[in-house]
Amino acid sequence: MEFPRYHKDIVSDLMSGKFILASDPKFVSLKESEEFYSSFFKESFGYEIEIKTDFAYLLSYETGEQLSRDICLFFAILSFELDKDGKNFLEEIQYAEFETEKLDEYFSNSSYAELILNNNQMKDAFSRKQFYTTLNRRNIIEKTGENKFTFTQAYKVFIDFAADFAKGKLNAVNEYN
Amino acid sequence: MLKAEPKTILNFLANYFDSLKDLFDIQATDGVIQRERLAQVLAERNDNIEATLLEYKILRKIGEDFEFRDTYFKLFEFILNEFRPLLPETIQKYEQSIGKLFQKIREGVKGDTLILRSRIDDLYNEIKEFSEAVEKNTIRLLAETRELKSNVDKLDYKEKVRKASFWIDYYIIPLNNILDINHVDSITNKLFDISQYTNVRRLNFNDESIRVQFEKLYTFLVMTNDNLLRQSKLLTNELLPLIERIRTESIILTGWIEFLKQPYKSPVPKIFKPERNYPYSNDMYLNAKEYLEQFITEENILVEDPIANSDKWVFNKELYRSKMLEQLPIDSFFDWCGLTLRSEYKDIETDKFFALTGLLFEDDIMLELDENEKDRKLIKTSQMTLRVPKIKILKYGIS
Repeated sequence: MEFPRYHKDIVSDLMSGKFILASDPKFVSLKESEEFYSSFFKESFGYEIEIKTDFAYLLSYETGEQLSRDICLFFAILSFELDKDGKNFLEEIQYAEFETEKLDEYFSNSSYAELILNNNQMKDAFSRKQFYTTLNRRNIIEKTGENKFTFTQAYKVFIDFAADFAKGKLNAVNEYN
Repeated sequence: MLKAEPKTILNFLANYFDSLKDLFDIQATDGVIQRERLAQVLAERNDNIEATLLEYKILRKIGEDFEFRDTYFKLFEFILNEFRPLLPETIQKYEQSIGKLFQKIREGVKGDTLILRSRIDDLYNEIKEFSEAVEKNTIRLLAETRELKSNVDKLDYKEKVRKASFWIDYYIIPLNNILDINHVDSITNKLFDISQYTNVRRLNFNDESIRVQFEKLYTFLVMTNDNLLRQSKLLTNELLPLIERIRTESIILTGWIEFLKQPYKSPVPKIFKPERNYPYSNDMYLNAKEYLEQFITEENILVEDPIANSDKWVFNKELYRSKMLEQLPIDSFFDWCGLTLRSEYKDIETDKFFALTGLLFEDDIMLELDENEKDRKLIKTSQMTLRVPKIKILKYGIS
């Protein structure tokens, strides 16, 4: 039986929780064999595969809820602080390069100090550095230097979540009224 | 009737431009210039010109307050490129006036040429005013939107979304409807009809002077239609996406702020949780680390200097020297060092071992080195394994 190109790497990456990005040659192969991978993961492990236009990732029945929550917290506080700083946070997340030192400044002076201090991944500069390593390994960020990184297209999972969250909340308020 | 010379008035405007600009800004914001504000602005620059402003009919009094006369207000709007946006409803009025005039022209085209000429002139002016109003609005909306986008005023997200929605709902979408060529009732569509009609009339009308007027109107309409098309494109291609984006950004921020209110009770996006980890898999180390890091609660670690000399081992040279001398001859010196230390301590510590080897340099002993490479010994200390030669020790003077 012939398997798509990079099959082993694709399975290995997805199974270790990585996002496969459009810039990765594996993505083309994955996209071309969308149907195959969809049934492959479903039949073999009971997992769903999400293949978007510019990234793909795997969903399991049991999700990495703690990590996902930490990532949401990170994006939420970062978006809030960037906006407070007068920046277009969405553009920044899409295109800007972030320096960990500047992020430390945002997190240290944030009005969400209590949330930050109670979170093991974000409570101080050292924890955040570890957290960036996790994000990098999952391809949610791409390191561009020793203390610099950019977000990959995987940010959309979390930003879309925020938009849906707001719509859900707004609908709830409208229904209530 | 103005007594002053036109040049004098223009010079006056140039000389006191800064104060006049401030007054213009006040009126643009507040709609009127209050007496106190006028006095304040003029006092700041020591310009004693209140009487002249009235004399030259630049300002007029409204009760106790003042306002620019329309001519001057429009002049300042034009030279400063700062236009007050007109509500689309206001612009919409041109649809009626233009439509009515066009209808009259068609109906009376065979009637009196004098009234026809006046109607064509009026139609020309109405179209010109309409076109200028649209252009001013687009300029102003673009400036407002860009300012909102760059957020120079550092507005909070609620204010930003309120402003963005305001511009979209009350100005941009209605203005777009007015300009939308695909909309049957849009003014732009009406102008195209007029353009087609005048195109025929400019060629076949029997009165030459009216033909010339139709020609002038037609040329102007072609130009206006191009301009309106450009304004419409600006609205749909630049303004709407720009302002929509502000709205989107704000929705996302609303979502995050709501989420942050109860981050540990809200649902979160699903992301994959690696389930099967074999100890020999490449990712085992990092996955385990990621998992464990969630539960780490770091305790403060205090580093204290070790209490000085509390258990520091001091080499008692005399003691070991006498021990060595008692046991002479020693067949292998390094073995003896090892055995001696092992008899006293659990492990042979490197430092202690090296301290003992110093006994080799004592005076009353004699050394015999076995140079055979094969007879080298291995001594294991707590930190390393030493490969040492076999050295025999004899009492000095006795063979």
